[in-house]
Amino acid sequence: MREQPLTVLSGTPIADDGDELNFCSTCAFSSACLAEGYDKTQLRDLHVLVEHVGPFREGDHIFREGDPFNAIAAVRAGTVKTYVNDASGREQVLGFFLPGEVIGLSAIASSRYPCNAVALDTVMLCRFSFPMMATLASRMPGLQRHLFNLLSQDIGKASLLAGNFTADERLAAFLVLLSRRFAERGFSPNRMRLTMARTDIANYLRLAPETVSRVLRRLQDEGVLEVDRRDMRILKPAVLDDMAHHVLRS
Amino acid sequence: MQTLSPVNPPRTWHFDADLLRRYDRPGPRYTSYPTAPHFAEGFGEADFRGLARRSNEDPIPRQLSLYVHIPYCQSPCFYCGCNRIITRDEARGRIYLDRLQREIASIAPLFDRDREVMQLHLGGGTPNFLAPRLLGELVGSLGRHFSFSSALDRDFSIELDPRFVTPADVELLSAIGFNRTSLGVQDFDPAVQKAVNREQSVDETLAIIDACRRFGMRSVNVDLIYGLPKQTLEGFGRTLDTVVAARPDRLAIYGYAHMPRLFKAQRQIKDEDLPSPEDKLALLGLAVERLGEAGYEYIGMDHFALPGDELARAQREGGLHRNFMGYTTHAQTDLIGFGVSAISHVGDSFTQNHRDLPSWEAAVDEGRLPIWRGLMLGNDDVLRADVIQQLMCQGEIDVRRVEKAYGIDFGVYFADALAALRPLQDDGLVQCPPGTIRATPRGRALLRIIAMCFDRYLGTPSEGARYSRTI
Repeated sequence: MREQPLTVLSGTPIADDGDELNFCSTCAFSSACLAEGYDKTQLRDLHVLVEHVGPFREGDHIFREGDPFNAIAAVRAGTVKTYVNDASGREQVLGFFLPGEVIGLSAIASSRYPCNAVALDTVMLCRFSFPMMATLASRMPGLQRHLFNLLSQDIGKASLLAGNFTADERLAAFLVLLSRRFAERGFSPNRMRLTMARTDIANYLRLAPETVSRVLRRLQDEGVLEVDRRDMRILKPAVLDDMAHHVLRS
Repeated sequence: MQTLSPVNPPRTWHFDADLLRRYDRPGPRYTSYPTAPHFAEGFGEADFRGLARRSNEDPIPRQLSLYVHIPYCQSPCFYCGCNRIITRDEARGRIYLDRLQREIASIAPLFDRDREVMQLHLGGGTPNFLAPRLLGELVGSLGRHFSFSSALDRDFSIELDPRFVTPADVELLSAIGFNRTSLGVQDFDPAVQKAVNREQSVDETLAIIDACRRFGMRSVNVDLIYGLPKQTLEGFGRTLDTVVAARPDRLAIYGYAHMPRLFKAQRQIKDEDLPSPEDKLALLGLAVERLGEAGYEYIGMDHFALPGDELARAQREGGLHRNFMGYTTHAQTDLIGFGVSAISHVGDSFTQNHRDLPSWEAAVDEGRLPIWRGLMLGNDDVLRADVIQQLMCQGEIDVRRVEKAYGIDFGVYFADALAALRPLQDDGLVQCPPGTIRATPRGRALLRIIAMCFDRYLGTPSEGARYSRTI
């Protein structure tokens, strides 16, 4: 349908600077390997496990609940949504994964994926065969430590919005976290493209879609942020931080 | 505190006959970019449904504008180039309305209910071909299927043919919720009225303007046309005096585009009755002069408004927009068109309904969306549409903003356009101080000529025959 965006400002960032010996700069594993001072042979060992897959188009499933678990994957470009269908068939959004983040971690403990993962826009992945990675991790303590880090971050992310918070607090926390995640990967913290649909944001935050828009519209009227279609600019980050304070406890 | 120079250029139209003569050439009116001739068949129902769904999913989905096309007219005006059907059979209105309601019922559920309708416009044809009772039913139907905004500045407007409406009708229209009207006048000169087959007295027209005021319409627009057969400076001057004395809030002065090959009704107009290009220019000059003297400000593209009118204020404050319904104060909305030939603008797309009544009727009867053709805008289209919109509404392009928003080097990206602008610069139509491309007061009369420099689709063969001349 549409051409690629003219600029990264209006599109989602893509990291495509990796090669045989170097991970992409946004990759979740680059720090693990570089910081641990692994040599080229070891890196090559890890690289053997890596497979670039994609592109997945909007709406394509990357894995489905119940599929045999055999790999985790780092997002190279685009946004991935994970969700489950509850007993009555209603979708429950579990999370969104941005470039540099890892999907499939929640499956590590079992032999099957416990949720669905779907591409929200054009998604490229780095796929890591998991049984092989587990073997390698036993030889590379740094890699193991890194996997544990990723796992605990994943768990922390999920429990964040479980408390009894107002719509304002939930939405502010969501935006603050999103902004931090972009910033961590070297992108602007105050200018972002919301690739997720408002029904997905609403579902994730356990709010009505109209409520999401109503809160955003009020924040826009108050000059805290500016929304143009899917593009958002945070004009007063401090105000947003303050609103998110109870949720984030920071 | 008094500033040394006004922030915005003066809202006047610097009339320069020689310049207008030289730049009189066919060109689009840019109620859309790309323009309607570039819509393509094959863009259909599935595309539209997908676009509607997607448009609901923005963090703050856009508000809605609704347009309803009523194609019928009681009598043919010979100058008309609109899509219309002449009939005196009022029963056809009822039948058309029934189908409209089915179309509304099938399209409305595609749009989330928290997207409020800020703008409703009924155009034609002659919307008041439908009796007020039927118009009430139409608006009621729209109100049930959509959420009308309760904001004070919502615009619910209707085009009226003063010959077929009474002050009592206006009261009913106001009760239905309309708060703006647009009246066709064209020219009060009896000789002209006879030549275009539209005889309409001054008294009945003024009575309708008066009724609009009395029954609380927030603004009244009057349409005039210059370049009609038998038109003279003297007669048109009297029309201008009469109209200006009635103080409509807005005035549109359209140039008559004689294209008898395209519009059958125009074949009734004798070539020898048409004013010469020189006379046509003089008629426009007269209108510009009289409106200026009467205190009207030039909004752009044929439109004038009193300084206190919202359009004039919006233009001074940079809040003016333009869509298929003309100039508006409302920020970007998604536009949904109903009825034969109506155009929708949802997200970065245009969709047009079937232009002939039988196709539209057949689609509605079969429960299909009556889409004829459409266009998905590419990135280049979106960028150029933005630039042309800035020109049409603000009379200038904010080069830095465009570069930032689209990640381009303006000078490189628009090298061709800038080269095409150079002669216009030499003629004093355009100035290019750093970071800005600005229409001068002289150039404001020729906005479409300036905009054409940024139109990627011009210059292709067969393009010229489709558009009326700029003056």
